[in-house]
Amino acid sequence: MYRGREGQWAFVLHRVTGVAVALFLLLHVIDISLVMFGPEGPFEAFLVFYHNWPFRIGLIMVIAAVVYHGLNGLRIILMDFTTWGVRYQKHMWYGVLGLTTIIGIPVLLKVVPEILRGA
Amino acid sequence: MSTVRRGKAKRPRTFVEARAMASSSSELGWWVFMRISGLLLIPLTFAHLWANNIAMDAGQIDFAYVVARLQQPGVRIFNSFLLLFAMLHGVNGLRYSIEDYVRRPGRRFALKMILYTVAGIIFVFGVMTLWAFSYEEMGNAVRALGSE
Repeated sequence: MYRGREGQWAFVLHRVTGVAVALFLLLHVIDISLVMFGPEGPFEAFLVFYHNWPFRIGLIMVIAAVVYHGLNGLRIILMDFTTWGVRYQKHMWYGVLGLTTIIGIPVLLKVVPEILRGA
Repeated sequence: MSTVRRGKAKRPRTFVEARAMASSSSELGWWVFMRISGLLLIPLTFAHLWANNIAMDAGQIDFAYVVARLQQPGVRIFNSFLLLFAMLHGVNGLRYSIEDYVRRPGRRFALKMILYTVAGIIFVFGVMTLWAFSYEEMGNAVRALGSE
């Protein structure tokens, strides 16, 4: 594990978001593969469940998890392959959190009204 | 007796564990792969999320949309790379988690085998879906084989 408080939190969040996104990936490939059963098949029934507001809030969390995991992954790459990466890992982690928020706010502003309209 | 316990944890207790401990070069390979695939997955996942959540209302997705989308050759090739790298990166990440938190060798081995089997089957479903191989077509193909 990395040293320091920020480093530990960065690691824990990377783990949690990684496991969550990986499990969603498995579910997501299964649901999309339901189109193989044709237009009369189970895909549309699955979509009803997908378009429910609790699930769509879950999807926003998946998007946030992907963004955090990707940006923090860049931080890990910089820590591993540059001479200065470890020295600035704490600053970079705050950068990751900031960028995730900056990307997240317009996503929320776009998607949440869609969910409210659909609900 | 913490020293005894520490010694116990380090000793491989099954063939699978012994092999995992010895294969430092393949572990190194996975370590490098996680960084390269991770870098590639940033544009792949971000573009995928943009196309289906930002460029449109994800609540409007239906059967016709998915089929029309998957019929485009560019989407098929893009999604094939996305599927391949996401699956390998994700399953290897889940393997890291199992190895970190599941201490009992038998349970650890069983969980990993379940993971590889389930992920392998789902990956085949994904490839079949992307390249428009329907169960109906497959059933017809099998029946055609039987009638020959």
